[in-house]
Amino acid sequence: MANIVKIMEGFSFIPRTELNLLEALESQNIDIDYQCREGFCGSCQVQLVDGEVEYFSDPIAYVPEGRILPCCCQAKGDLTVEIPGGCHVKK
Amino acid sequence: MFFGRSVNVSRYDVQKHPIFEKLIEKQLSFFWRPEEVDLSTDRSDFTHLPEHEKHIFLSNLKYQTLLDSIQGRSPNVALLPIVSLPELETWIETWAFSETIHSRSYTHIIRNIMNEPSVVFDDIVTNDAIIKRAEAITQHYDALIEGVNYYNNLGEGQHQINGQTINVSVRELKKTLYLTLMSVNVLEAIRFYVSFACSFAFAERSTMEGNAKIIKLIARDEALHLTGTQHILQLMADGKDDPEMVEIAHELRNEARQIFIDAAEQEKDWAEYLFQNGSMIGLNKDILCQYVEYITNQRMTTLGFEPAFAISQNPLPWMNSWLNSDNVQVAPQEVEVSSYLVGQIDSEVQSEDFSNFSL
Repeated sequence: MANIVKIMEGFSFIPRTELNLLEALESQNIDIDYQCREGFCGSCQVQLVDGEVEYFSDPIAYVPEGRILPCCCQAKGDLTVEIPGGCHVKK
Repeated sequence: MFFGRSVNVSRYDVQKHPIFEKLIEKQLSFFWRPEEVDLSTDRSDFTHLPEHEKHIFLSNLKYQTLLDSIQGRSPNVALLPIVSLPELETWIETWAFSETIHSRSYTHIIRNIMNEPSVVFDDIVTNDAIIKRAEAITQHYDALIEGVNYYNNLGEGQHQINGQTINVSVRELKKTLYLTLMSVNVLEAIRFYVSFACSFAFAERSTMEGNAKIIKLIARDEALHLTGTQHILQLMADGKDDPEMVEIAHELRNEARQIFIDAAEQEKDWAEYLFQNGSMIGLNKDILCQYVEYITNQRMTTLGFEPAFAISQNPLPWMNSWLNSDNVQVAPQEVEVSSYLVGQIDSEVQSEDFSNFSL
């Protein structure tokens, strides 16, 4: 089933199911920080405003309450996220 | 985690904070040696750099050598005598060990690009710009090491030593510990990244690429160490460990915040020193200062502090791909594929796993 991912102050899109959330955001040309892409650095964390995600591996990085680590999860249903620093689309 | 019962037998069957074992395993899977990276082209690259860029390159290496000298030693000296969980004790040792690899790799780099490496190393302890920052980094460590020594030898209370009155209290020591960990966090979260930015800026123009490969491996380790200190600090602040630590974290909130801001200012002064003889292509003092502010904000919000600076967008977007270790490439025959070293196979078998089979 297709889930809708909504970015605060941005737009909504339907990610392809084989992508993790970080790849999904990148596929929309969203400017988002990353470093390790495997859950130990915590660079890519975003605020989870609404919805639920499913982790396919437990993140090692410290993730504060209310935030998620998009590099190791996928949307479980419709999702609203807020990117720290705002939603910027790469030119 | 600290100041509890001493660790005794190194057993990991019952763990209070299993995260530290995960960190240990991850760090071990990262194992690398500086000799894996070939630096022969860097030598000729370096001789072709203009003088002011040589200054930038060498100054950063000097500073990083100093940072890793501190980090290769101090966690062991300062934290091991007071740690009370075997899993955390082992994490601290694993962490400090990986810093010693970093120190060896700086020697590897400098040996490869300079005819006389000792000129560079000798300057580290006489260079004013470096010493100034070193003091800010080590003062908390020094206070903790001194205090813990008194505590172990004399216990709590008031003591007369060499005509001086010294008060030893565990609560005061815990405060020093909290500030020490905060300054370590800042060291790994902000201070290192200034040097990383310069190393990668060189590699962005396809020069000093061997160096950038080594720095990439170091950056991967540092990201994990940063995660480690963030966990320790947050376990303390959230009350999942010592209840007294929650009060201390609350009490020292402003001081902790100030450590971030001071470090950012010191790193901006350093940027000024780096570019005193001229900027390099792709990076100048202003951009580097903006990057320091940006990264400081990020690290502060992760630990629940209000960001200190106005900047919200990464001024050096190309740093992401350099910091990503997936594209670390060394000579294929020497590659250590880290993913082979981690438990990749799901060895749990349930009866429903066979539900698709029919005989």
